[in-house]
Amino acid sequence: MKRVVITGAGVISPLGSGVHSLMEGIASGKSAVRYMEEWARYCGMNSHVAAPAELKDEKKIPRQNRRSMGRMSIFAAQAAEQALADSGINVTRMQPDRMGCIIGSTTGSAISISKAFEIMLFQKDLSLLPSSMFFQCMSHSAAMNVAQYLGLTGYVMATSAACASSLQAIGTGYEIISSGRQDVLLCGGAEELHPSVTGSFDVVFATSVKYNQDPQKTPRPFDKDRDGLVCGEGSGILVLEEYEHAVRRNAKIYAEITGYNTCGSGSHISQSEDKSIVQCISGTLKNAQVTYEEIDYINAHATGTIQGDKEEASAIKQIFGKTAPVSSLKGHIGHTLGASGAIELIAALYMMDKGIIYPTFNLDEIAPDCEGINHVMKPVEKEINTILKNCFAFGGINAALVCRRLNK
Amino acid sequence: MNEQEIIDITNRVFEESFEIEKDRLKPDAHIFTDLGLDSLDVVDLVAALQKSFGVNIRNEEKVRNIRTLKDIYDFISAIKKEGH
Repeated sequence: MKRVVITGAGVISPLGSGVHSLMEGIASGKSAVRYMEEWARYCGMNSHVAAPAELKDEKKIPRQNRRSMGRMSIFAAQAAEQALADSGINVTRMQPDRMGCIIGSTTGSAISISKAFEIMLFQKDLSLLPSSMFFQCMSHSAAMNVAQYLGLTGYVMATSAACASSLQAIGTGYEIISSGRQDVLLCGGAEELHPSVTGSFDVVFATSVKYNQDPQKTPRPFDKDRDGLVCGEGSGILVLEEYEHAVRRNAKIYAEITGYNTCGSGSHISQSEDKSIVQCISGTLKNAQVTYEEIDYINAHATGTIQGDKEEASAIKQIFGKTAPVSSLKGHIGHTLGASGAIELIAALYMMDKGIIYPTFNLDEIAPDCEGINHVMKPVEKEINTILKNCFAFGGINAALVCRRLNK
Repeated sequence: MNEQEIIDITNRVFEESFEIEKDRLKPDAHIFTDLGLDSLDVVDLVAALQKSFGVNIRNEEKVRNIRTLKDIYDFISAIKKEGH
């Protein structure tokens, strides 16, 4: 089996473009959540808060690449471009069939899908559909757009598992490179805000609704006053590379991916449960050949929902007790859904590099049903050698990944 | 609609839909080799011309013969005269 390392990272997040903006925002205790005035017109929509990312510089992408990109694919293309530049890889110098991308999202562009149906249902005139509309709507829109834009000709795939999409993309990329089939894969995810996206959580009472007039106070992962998640948007892309390939070109290596696992709960479509989370994390630790005591930091999925946070805390408690520090980044950037695994993994890798763990924003008082684990309530300086990243999704999908510093 | 109006409206389609600078919009500019359009762009060009001129040209065989901007000006002019 080949070893797989991370050699590049790029982010478009609600806290700005680039890893630096994301981490500066987290370090300074910023929240990107705001009141969405324009959502008040939707009858039955109770949550009016979100964490939007800024769409900018999109015209730097040539028009013929951009025309097939919805909002999330533009985010993905920009994050992928950052990641590629960070890695120092020149695509034209790569063996064409050995470099590709795996990028996940919940759906294709929600905005474009909505526009297409407006034309279909209300105007009933197919000739009004732009030629590239379907390319914006496809489930693999972000992956294929990034591949076309950057000229990637190896594996091009999309993982679609809602909020676990990007962690599944990274895990799948890890397995493919590990098997020797590819040398380099750009892996991650992308997502965009739309009332239909927040609405899908709103109808099952999973959104935050009590803080519409005080948006920076929500979401509140693990907190006693948490009342639901807040959707965000953006993209996170990591460059995964076969270890020897990276060493040969003297690449900067952020970490080695040493274990990954994904599983279904088989029990409930919208409610996560501790039993299957335990199964997922335990399998990941086993694959990574590490004990629970070796995990120095857990970057939790913890979205701020009543049910999900409780189940994740219970699962972490069963495996780790109070050994590993745990924090969630969703209080800062909301739940970026299909992009969350990649964006938050990038942040966790940064923390590992700097030897600091940032606390869970808006966690003021630990909820009784989330007690028993090592919550990070203020910045903690610590040598971090091994981290665990969790992601859970609608459909009972769980995913977890272990990374470790290479020099240890 | 006079010829200058047809030229202005057509050129606006190229500026707005295909982000082509005004000074490149010469009558003899080839829409593929000079202006960089491709087969997918032609689908959008037809849709944009239909909307801008209030005509239905999607199934017109002569659309296939268009190569230059002047071809479009002449084509729209002819269509308008025919009263489409």
